[in-house]
Amino acid sequence: MLLLTTSRDELLAPLQSVSGIVEKRHTLPILSNVLIEKRGGALTLLATDIEIQIRTTTEGAGTGEEIAITVAARKLQDILRAMPEGTEVSLVLDDKRLTLKAGKSRFALQTLPAGDYPRMQFNEGAAVEFSLSQKAFKKQLTQVAYAMAAQDVRYYLNGLLMVADGSELRMVATDGHRLALATTELQGDAPHTEVILPRKTVLELARQLSDSDDPVSITLIGNQARFQFGPIELITKLIDGKFPDYDRVIPQGNPKLVKAHRQALLQALQRAAILTNEKFRGLRVLLEAGSLKVLSSNAEQEEAQDELEVDYSGDSLEIGFNVSYLLDVLNNVGTEEVEIHLNEPMSSALFTLPGNSNFKAVVMPMRI
Amino acid sequence: MPAIRKLPEVLINQIAAGEVVERPASVLKELLENSLDADSRAIEVHLTQGGIKQLRITDDGCGIAKEDLALALERHATSKIASLEDLEAVGTMGFRGEALAAISSVARTRIISRARGTSHAWRVSEREHEPMPAALNGGTVVEVDDLYYNTPARRKFLKSDATEYGHCDDAFRRVALARPDVGFQLSHNGRVTLRLAPGDAERRAREILGDDFMAQARMVDVASGALRLFGFASLPAYARSNRDAQYFYVNGRYVRDKIIQHALREAYADILHGNRHPAYALFLELDPAGVDVNVHPAKTEVRFREGRAIHQFVFHALTRTLASPVQAAVHAIAENEYSAQASPTEQVHLGVEEPVLARYFSAAQFAPAATRAPSFEALTAFGSRNVASGAFMPNALPQTTQGAPLGYAIAQLHGVFVLAQNETGLVLVDMHAAHERILYEQLKHVLEGTPGVQRLLIPAVFNASKIEMATAEDHADTLQRMGFDVAPAGPNELAVRSVPALLARASVTDLLRALLAELRDFPATEVIAARRNELLGTMACHGAVRANRQLTLPEMNALLRDMEATERADQCNHGRPTWVQLSMNELDKLFMRGQ
Ligand SMILES: Nc1ncnc2c1ncn2[C@@H]1O[C@H](COP(=O)(O)OP(=O)(O)O)[C@@H](O)[C@H]1O
Ligand SMILES: [Mg+2]
Ligand SMILES: [Zn+2]
Repeated sequence: MLLLTTSRDELLAPLQSVSGIVEKRHTLPILSNVLIEKRGGALTLLATDIEIQIRTTTEGAGTGEEIAITVAARKLQDILRAMPEGTEVSLVLDDKRLTLKAGKSRFALQTLPAGDYPRMQFNEGAAVEFSLSQKAFKKQLTQVAYAMAAQDVRYYLNGLLMVADGSELRMVATDGHRLALATTELQGDAPHTEVILPRKTVLELARQLSDSDDPVSITLIGNQARFQFGPIELITKLIDGKFPDYDRVIPQGNPKLVKAHRQALLQALQRAAILTNEKFRGLRVLLEAGSLKVLSSNAEQEEAQDELEVDYSGDSLEIGFNVSYLLDVLNNVGTEEVEIHLNEPMSSALFTLPGNSNFKAVVMPMRI
Repeated sequence: MPAIRKLPEVLINQIAAGEVVERPASVLKELLENSLDADSRAIEVHLTQGGIKQLRITDDGCGIAKEDLALALERHATSKIASLEDLEAVGTMGFRGEALAAISSVARTRIISRARGTSHAWRVSEREHEPMPAALNGGTVVEVDDLYYNTPARRKFLKSDATEYGHCDDAFRRVALARPDVGFQLSHNGRVTLRLAPGDAERRAREILGDDFMAQARMVDVASGALRLFGFASLPAYARSNRDAQYFYVNGRYVRDKIIQHALREAYADILHGNRHPAYALFLELDPAGVDVNVHPAKTEVRFREGRAIHQFVFHALTRTLASPVQAAVHAIAENEYSAQASPTEQVHLGVEEPVLARYFSAAQFAPAATRAPSFEALTAFGSRNVASGAFMPNALPQTTQGAPLGYAIAQLHGVFVLAQNETGLVLVDMHAAHERILYEQLKHVLEGTPGVQRLLIPAVFNASKIEMATAEDHADTLQRMGFDVAPAGPNELAVRSVPALLARASVTDLLRALLAELRDFPATEVIAARRNELLGTMACHGAVRANRQLTLPEMNALLRDMEATERADQCNHGRPTWVQLSMNELDKLFMRGQ
């Protein structure tokens, strides 16, 4: 039974979109499969790891019978990838095996019935819905996501807080040592809603979103969120937990303001980072009027020192940090300049961007 | 004030009874223990009206000789110990020689017994201590009627028959669970309610805890030197909303002990959330000299000579067992696949996770090729984020393993072991034990006034007992020197505002609680000298990667390199090996090759 004839690329692109979340070795064999469905000219590919489900729909895809079948996602993807671009491929189902034909090549793959595939049902009911451009959403994710915790016992930190409120969308992430917050405008008027997106979802979104002005529509209901962009629909479970009160930990009125050229600072830090103590990557920052010095040393008594000109006129200050935290902030904000607001050696540092109140990062110091 | 007088014997016994004989269930416990001490193979218990009206226990043990029978009802009369040395190494359940005296002072009590190898049985009662001839084929029958008949005030505290029966049933199960080799039967008001044939430990556990428990339980059997922990412990899926299926025994004695409970709570902490309670039947065996059972007349409390070692042993043994999914499944009932996949331990991670993360967010991708591989801490402290994939260590196995005695990581096994390939063959690393050992060495600097103290953005605030509050205050300087900034945040709350950077991944609350417990009995000035190893051990254990933590290949390789660089990394802080080598030869033998 011929199911589908299409070009390699028509099939490969959506497959790559959904297969990212497929677990390599899942104890439930069907979860390493992708569900292929064709109904009335629309081709749907769907994959899930039970927490996240991604679906792509391509309209007017090829010819052939209506189908619903599951087959190993990786294998199918690897086979398609290994074919020349533009090859015409067809899928034929005979007696539980799916045969992919292209020119003289034949690949017969095992299938599992579509009915057994564990699809996530998206909640019904009153939803909070809004949208914004993919570009804006992706940028916002990038500015915040590095601060998420990973495998922390405080499970609610292993994700990203997303707050929709009126025409504002806010994202916050923290691992308990540093925090990042970014705000953008959304289209629509959202009632105040807070959800925590799981880490894996955040990374998957960052991978899939494009830098285009096309919209991403976001729907929140109960313990689920749905993201729709281009041909892709991503449904995710949410983390059920109470995110810390982030407003309270953002310092107000730190008196010492440093304005620095981002690239220059970043490079100085990267160089000094090489000789930080590898156990905790501590680095000292020495501030004096007009200058910022970075100093590091490691267990082998090797030392690094670097200095750059900055816009600073306050008292001198010495403060230590985990250099990774500083690099993360500087790497993920795309501006020329950064502003650093400091206070005491043991109080938090606030990072902001000039003329932009939408981004804040807080980094806690380290005693070195 | 009246003159001081010696109390009459009966009154002394009644006072003692207040501690030993709280209710029928406590009488039953004492009598069951006596029967077991007498080497019985079969024990029958008959209760009437919850044991208040009558409690009769029949055994086939060694019996009591006529001369001893009169003494059995006297206080501090026991055949089980004769000296302090005996007490320190006591292997019997009873030894205080006060149960029968206490019971017979508050209930009508009759004992009929026929000592093994004699041809007559004898009887005594609470009123008639002089043995009278009686008829019995062997063993001992103890009958306790009308509990508290002579102390009505106490009698009022007894609950309904059903409640008292429930307590008796609990007590009966506790004793029976520990002795699968002995047959037991319980009846209430003439009806048999529980019959337990002699058998093995698994069968007995199944009879007492049920099939559901066994289907969701792991077999535990871990030994280290003279310590052994065995039994059965539930997987998270079987967690319950109450604590009633928690049986822990020390040398066969059911105990409720703080140290043990803490170790168990911690072992389950990572996998059980909220108000769920694990179920278990666990038996700890150790040299009797290492544990004092004479803490309370009811003998459900114990004091360990080396509490910390016991704590660590139990914690590690259980964590290990719970984390490894293939080992010793109690029952090979094919589980429904969904529930199997709900267990976080089932995945094998090849360590090539999160390339996305590295690509999008990593700071370290800009780091130049490192002069030396970064340490395990640097890699793991904040997730694997600091590692750009392949930036430091190729994911593919290097051609040569020279200069890397422990080789290069291949995979992580069930969240517990790291597998590595070296010149000789396969290296298996217990990742928690190895990391704990490394941290232990590194943390030595911490006690000398540490560098690298990370300030916390969100202070860890936790409820603290009065003792914990006081300890934190007394030892504020010590804690500060170790890198912890701890201060009261309320009358019953402590807040931690900084921690040593080396321990950044630890659960701060658990760590602090453990440290406070370590500090509390010592004067602030001496504590570091006196408790140095314990403090280091506690910190290292909490800071070390816990089971089920997924490591990337670079993280695993960093762990191997850190092990090589750490002195005595071959053994964990408790003397067990942290890694083993399986040579190609040994592996070949498994497949009978080259023979
Ligand atoms: N069922 C029994 N079979 C044999 N001997 C018993 C039995 N019950 C009690 N005894 C004897 O009576 C003594 C006193 O018992 P008890 O008052 O419980 O003290 P303990 O058990 O602490 O020695 C025991 O030491 C033992 O010699
Ligand atoms: Mg006794
Ligand atoms: Zn440990």
